[in-house]
Amino acid sequence: MTPSRSLHAEVSAIALCGAGCVLATGIGVDALWGAACAGRSGIRPLQSKHFRSTRIAAFGHVSADDHARCLESVPRHLQRYCTPSVIWGVSAVQQSLHEAGLDPSGSGLRFGLYTSQGGYTHPSLDAYAELLQECSAAGKLNIRRLAARILQESALDPFLVLKSLSNGLLGIVSLCYKLEAQCGAYMQGVAGNQAALREACSALRERRIDVAIVVAAGSEMDALALTDLVRAGAISCEGAMAFTPYDSKGRGGIGGEGAAALILRRQDDLEIGHAVCLTEIKAHTDFDALPFADTHVDLLISHGAGIPGIDKELCAVLARTGATHISNSQALTGILSGSPSLVDLIFAREALRVQQVPAIAGLKRAVMPALPFACHTKPASLRHALILNRDSNGFSAGYRLERRCIQTESRVA
Amino acid sequence: MRRPRIVISGLGAVTGFGFEWQTLWSEMLLGRHCIRPWQPEGAAGTSFPIRYAAAVDEQSLPAYLQTHPAWSSELEKRARYGWVAASQALTDSRLSSVQWREVAVLAASGAPHHWLSDMQLAFPDDGDEQPSWRHVMRRADQVRRDGALRQSSDRLARVIANELGSQGPVLNISSACAGAAQAIGNAFHMLRRGECELALAGGADSVLNLDTMTALYLLGAASSETRWGADLCRPFDAARAGLVAGEGGAFLLLETLEHALARGAEPYAEILGYGTSLDGYKLTAPEPEGRGASQAMAAALDDAGVHPEQVDLINAHGTSTPLNDRSETLAVKRVFARNQHYRRLSVSANKSQFGHLIAAAGAPEILVTALSCREDWVTPTLNLNEADPDCDLNYCPNEAKQQRVDIAISNSFGFGGLNASLVLAKYRSEAP
Repeated sequence: MTPSRSLHAEVSAIALCGAGCVLATGIGVDALWGAACAGRSGIRPLQSKHFRSTRIAAFGHVSADDHARCLESVPRHLQRYCTPSVIWGVSAVQQSLHEAGLDPSGSGLRFGLYTSQGGYTHPSLDAYAELLQECSAAGKLNIRRLAARILQESALDPFLVLKSLSNGLLGIVSLCYKLEAQCGAYMQGVAGNQAALREACSALRERRIDVAIVVAAGSEMDALALTDLVRAGAISCEGAMAFTPYDSKGRGGIGGEGAAALILRRQDDLEIGHAVCLTEIKAHTDFDALPFADTHVDLLISHGAGIPGIDKELCAVLARTGATHISNSQALTGILSGSPSLVDLIFAREALRVQQVPAIAGLKRAVMPALPFACHTKPASLRHALILNRDSNGFSAGYRLERRCIQTESRVA
Repeated sequence: MRRPRIVISGLGAVTGFGFEWQTLWSEMLLGRHCIRPWQPEGAAGTSFPIRYAAAVDEQSLPAYLQTHPAWSSELEKRARYGWVAASQALTDSRLSSVQWREVAVLAASGAPHHWLSDMQLAFPDDGDEQPSWRHVMRRADQVRRDGALRQSSDRLARVIANELGSQGPVLNISSACAGAAQAIGNAFHMLRRGECELALAGGADSVLNLDTMTALYLLGAASSETRWGADLCRPFDAARAGLVAGEGGAFLLLETLEHALARGAEPYAEILGYGTSLDGYKLTAPEPEGRGASQAMAAALDDAGVHPEQVDLINAHGTSTPLNDRSETLAVKRVFARNQHYRRLSVSANKSQFGHLIAAAGAPEILVTALSCREDWVTPTLNLNEADPDCDLNYCPNEAKQQRVDIAISNSFGFGGLNASLVLAKYRSEAP
C-alpha cells in the first residue's frame, strides 16, 4: 500500500560501508552469510510463553542467547525503555559502525540517523499482567482499582508509552551514540525501509550529512499479529516447519524477527578500493509494475511467497529481469516486518563482495525450473545485483546494487 | 539549478474546536481554548489525577460530515480524525478527484489506543488462572476492531491512501511529538526533489485513554494541576505544570507552485525550509540548554536560505512543561542572538488553545502558522499571566495580535530527543 515513484538518479553512488544484523541466523553478517552458504535456515519451532499454536508451527526467532548478548550493546540505564527489537537494532548499529571504522563521537563527520520499525506497536500483555492479576477478582477486572493502582509507579511500567511509540529505535540509538544528527523515523516493513533509505540517500546526495546510519527492527512474535498475517495469506497456518520460496512443494510463509543496519556514505568520500554501491531505488504498489532498466543483472535477490501458485506468478516478473542467478534470504530468516529490505541489501552486498551466489535454503525443485534459482552456493562473477521486495500490505520495492572500483569510477566522473 | 517553490494549497483540521479549520482559526483569534473537564473511560469519579483535556466533541459533527466513511469504519479515533482532516484538506484545495491518484500521502500518528475491555479478555472464565494471551486469542472475535490490538500505526496512512487510490509515495512517519512536522517536512523535501507534485501531509493522534495518560502522568509530563481549572495549560508561565493533552489531527495539501498555479489554486503560504536534529541527551527530557532545538531551527533556516533576522514569528513547541519551555526559550535566544533579534520576534504557543496533539501536534500548528503568514495575525499564548524569569521572550500573551508576518518558524520536539522545524513564508507571486 505504500508506493513510491522511481528514484533512479537520486541515489547514485551511495556506498554501503558497513552492515550489521541480528536475525534468526544469529548475530552479525558473518552468521547470516554462513547460514546462507550452508543452506541452513534459522527458522525454528514457534515458542511463546503467551500462546500455543499447532497451525502456526515455526518462526524465525532471535535466540534468547543472542538477545542476551545484544543487551550488552545497550547501556543499562537505557534498557528499561527498550523493546527486544530495539535492543537488536542497537547491536546491529554497533556492528555496522565497527565494520565502517566509524565512531560518531570522534569522527568530525556529520551523521544522519534513519530508522524503520515494524510489527505491531502496542506493548505486550507482559506490561499489564501483574496489574491485571492484582486488580481482578473472580475473573473480573475492577476498573476503579486498576485506575487507582496504575498511578503508583510500580503498578504500571511508566515507559509503556515510550515502548509503544515507533520512534523508540531512533531515540535509543541516538542516545547510545550521543548523536545530534539529522533524522527520520518510519514504520512498517518494505515501506518503512524504503522511506528510511530514500531519506538517507537524499540527505547524503544533498550533502546535508556525510554518513547515514539506516537501521530497522521489528518482530511479529505476537499472537494477533501472526493471526493477521495468516489472514493476509502471508504465513502458513498448515503447520509448515520450513519456508521454501519458489519450491514446488512450498507450504507458505513463516514469520520472523530481527534487526539490520547499514552505514551509507557518498562513494566519492571513500578511499580507493572496491565498494558495493546502491545505485537505484524503485517502488510501486504492484510487484509486477516495478520498472526495470535495461542493465544486466548478475544476481537477483527476490522475496517469494512459499506458495507455489503465487511463486509461479512472481516468476513472470523475475524472468523479465534476465538475471543470471536468483536467490532469496527469507528462507533463512522468515518474513521480516522490521528490516526486510535492509537484510536483502546486506545479503546481496555480501554476495557481490565475496563473488558467490548464495543458495535458497531448502530449495529442492523450483516452481519454474527454467529460471536460474540457486540450489547450491557457488562462485560466480557478480557485479550487478537487483533486489525485489514485496509486502503483505501490497507494497513492493526494488533496489539495484553495483560492485564498483572507486578509483576507476572517480576518474571517469 | 533553481529549486521548485512549494506551497500549501489546502487545509483540514479536526481539533477540540471542531471539524473545520475556519472554526479553529476564528476561535483562536478570539483568544479561546477548547480544554474541558475530562476523565478516561471507566475512571470517572476516581482519584485519577488528569482532569482536563482538549477532546474532540463528536456531538458537534456538522451534518455534511456525518456520512463520511470514517465514522462507520472500524478504526481507532486517531485514524478517524486524521481521515476526516485529510478529506477536508482535499476539499479545501479544490483538487480535482482525477488528480487524487497523484497525491503522495505522509502521515504521522503515535501511541495506539488500548481498550480496557480488550484487556479483560485476557482473563480466564473461571478466574483461577493467570491472565494470558491464550484467553485473548480464544476470544479473538470479541477484540474491539477500533482498538490497538486490531489496528497498526500505519493504518492512518493506509486509509487515506486507499481513499485517494494514491499511487504514492505513501510514508508512515513515527517520531513522537515531532511526527507531523516531520511528515510535512518530508513532503516538502520530496516535492522539492521532484519525487511528486502533490502531497497530503500531516498527522492525527489521540492519547485520551487510561494507560497512555497514566504513562504521561508517571513520566511527569502531564499536568494534574487543579487550581486553574480548565486554564491549566500555561506555556512559558511561571506556574506551568505540564502538558494538557488534546486529540485530533490536521492535514495540509502541498504542491509545487507551478502545479498550483496551473490548476488555478490560491496558496495559503509557502514552505521555505525544513530541518531536523537529535538531542542525544535523554529519552524523556529535552537537552536543557536547547542545543538540539536550536540545531533544528538553524538547519531549517539554512535549508530555506533565510537569515534569522528575517523571521517575524515562531510558533513554539511550547508544551507548558517546565523543561521544554525553558530550553526552547534558550534555543530561540541562541539562534536569533545576532542583534538580539529574539527581542523583536513574536512567539506563540498554540497548545494553550487546543492542547497537545502529541504525534499530530505539528500539523495544526503549521496550519496556524500558514494562516498567520497569510492573515498577518499572531495567535495568543493563553494563561500567560506571570512569565517565568527564564522565559523572557515576547510570547503574545492572552490576546491575538495583528502583526506583519512575512516569515515564520514552527517548532515540534518529541520524546526521544528529536526535533523538527519548518520555515514558512507569506505567499507572494515573486520568489522571496
